[in-house]
Amino acid sequence: MLKQEAIDLLAKHRNGAISVTTMQTAAPWHLGGHTNAFHLEASACMGSASSLGLGLALGTPDRKVVVLDGDGSLLMQLGSLVTIAGHAPRNLYHFVFANGHYESSGNQPLPGNGKSDFVALARAAGYAVALRCSTAEQLDRALPDVFAREGPALIELVVERDDATPRWAGVPMAEMVRKLRADLGVA
Amino acid sequence: MSTSVSTEPVATGIPGTELANALRALGVTHVICVPDTMQKTAIDSLAATAPPELLYVCTEDEGIGINAGLYITGHQPMLLIQNNGLYACINTLKAIALDAQVPTFMLIGQYGRDPLLTPDASPRRAVNRLEPTLQAWNVPFERIEGPADLPKLRAMWDRSRSTKGPAAAIVGAATI
Repeated sequence: MLKQEAIDLLAKHRNGAISVTTMQTAAPWHLGGHTNAFHLEASACMGSASSLGLGLALGTPDRKVVVLDGDGSLLMQLGSLVTIAGHAPRNLYHFVFANGHYESSGNQPLPGNGKSDFVALARAAGYAVALRCSTAEQLDRALPDVFAREGPALIELVVERDDATPRWAGVPMAEMVRKLRADLGVA
Repeated sequence: MSTSVSTEPVATGIPGTELANALRALGVTHVICVPDTMQKTAIDSLAATAPPELLYVCTEDEGIGINAGLYITGHQPMLLIQNNGLYACINTLKAIALDAQVPTFMLIGQYGRDPLLTPDASPRRAVNRLEPTLQAWNVPFERIEGPADLPKLRAMWDRSRSTKGPAAAIVGAATI
């Protein structure tokens, strides 16, 4: 599927969840207008989206947290799958945009040559839910069921390589931290 | 901070229960831990009695991210790691603790330190490079060389809150 299709569907089904983006998902999620509230971007810390999401999920057990991770990003903190599964946050939904490339730096191929399997890794780590969606239709059908189930859930999204990722200046992460705390009513 | 080689220990072990109780007194809600040999008995004490909640993680990078998520949601977390772990997570420390201005209090064990030597006199890089590394990143720190230094934990904890950034307390001898 196209990355933008997956972005649009996650926005459609988000339903008030805190979102965490990083790298390839940051610009389209922002440009789609989905970062105005309850949002955090892992900027300049590639690999940290899953860990930020875990902390947020543990800290707000009554609110869902959706992490829009990248495959290259997740590989940088792959052990976080084990940590997440161990702490078992029921409200954490971990979407991995898998295009097989380091998109932000020029679409170099990921190590592994496509042999690795994030769904199998998540299952082996102990995630409660792990599945793959390759088309927008599959994802649209799957999301209501996914969000009705208890996490932690990992959903690998097979997306096409994007050679024209929009660039944007970004919002300083410190500003997003302050805004998210305010959104959550934390002094 | 002085440099010295002594026949008497420069650093003496703090009872683990005292260190754990000092953290409780700070109001810490979560201790995010990549286990450190130097702080074993403190970890044992934390594991035995909550609060704070003890969260084991795979890497210090993860710990800094989780610390941020818990802070954002209104909790008062901290990290318990060792010197080698600090070196492993510099980029995440830069991005989240410094740039994103997240209070990040770190209790760092000086793994491999000879308690007869000050850290800068240690022949081990893991030990003698810790303070220069923290200084290079403008991370304030205090040495916790024995029970008398426990009040310095409060100073560094408060510093991490007031500056919205990292601050460290360095445990110089194995807890007992």
